[in-house]
Amino acid sequence: MALRYKDTGNLHPDFHRLVNSTIKWVREHYGEEAVVEIFRRVAQDVYRSIHEDLKAGDPSQLIEHWRYYLDREGGEYTTEERPDGSYWMTVTRCPAYWFLHEKGVEIDADFRRQTILLNRFLGEGTPFEIVTEPITPGSYRQGIVPRGEAHS
Amino acid sequence: MIPSDHFVRFYNEVFKYLDSLGREHLLDYWREVGRHQAGLLAEDFRKGGFKAAYEYWSLIAHEENCDMDLRLEEDYFELKMNKCPSLSKAMDNDAGACEIYCDHCMAWIQIVMEKAGLHPAYDIESRVEPHCNLRIYKDPEKARAREKELRIPARPYEEFGPKKG
Repeated sequence: MALRYKDTGNLHPDFHRLVNSTIKWVREHYGEEAVVEIFRRVAQDVYRSIHEDLKAGDPSQLIEHWRYYLDREGGEYTTEERPDGSYWMTVTRCPAYWFLHEKGVEIDADFRRQTILLNRFLGEGTPFEIVTEPITPGSYRQGIVPRGEAHS
Repeated sequence: MIPSDHFVRFYNEVFKYLDSLGREHLLDYWREVGRHQAGLLAEDFRKGGFKAAYEYWSLIAHEENCDMDLRLEEDYFELKMNKCPSLSKAMDNDAGACEIYCDHCMAWIQIVMEKAGLHPAYDIESRVEPHCNLRIYKDPEKARAREKELRIPARPYEEFGPKKG
């Protein structure tokens, strides 16, 4: 599966710190709607290729994107494909959360919403609902569910 | 999760959103990033001078996969960026780059250096090609003299902020 963006080389994980502080600053100065709108643009404009594939009924680029970048940053996860056609990934170690936690950074209450909002807007206007279910700080489950299918 | 590799494209969307509200909103955000960076770096730069700058950007060159040359001279520290991964990613982006993307760099460096007692002169060189040149001086007169040689001097707060007088 070809990814539209496929980075290689070294990592600069300190960028997670700036995502954290930026989400907090935008919410405090421009409100919740601004945070939501920025993530809508990231999901549908930056990740246009993934969104277009989803609109066409193909979730494979999103699955590869999740796997590639979690592997690259040392994330841990399990996956499951269910008979109803849904695909689930349980992220047991989110690298962004744990990087900040181990650095002693105060993690904004909305930090995890980056994943929730990205997934929500990736699924918007497509045959899939992209679900995010927080488990604990630093772990969550995300699923690609054909619309109309119940999930649990 | 936004991969750290994709932070630049997220950051670029924040810039575009704030810029659409008015350039002063974007400058306010850059001031905030500058304060954030100053909290992390200014004291090291104040104490360590050019050597601290060299060490900081050596780490950045490694982690961000930059093609850059660093030089320590008696009068200045120089960062010659041959291929900037940040602008490269902002441009290799289905959402398109903020038209003054490059200026964010000087926007935080200026604030850090003011707190560190150092004086930057930054040549953007091009807003659509990923190369630039930064020199940091101890002597403000030498920084001002250098600025006269620059093709596209980066002075975001002066160029895009409220005009004095």
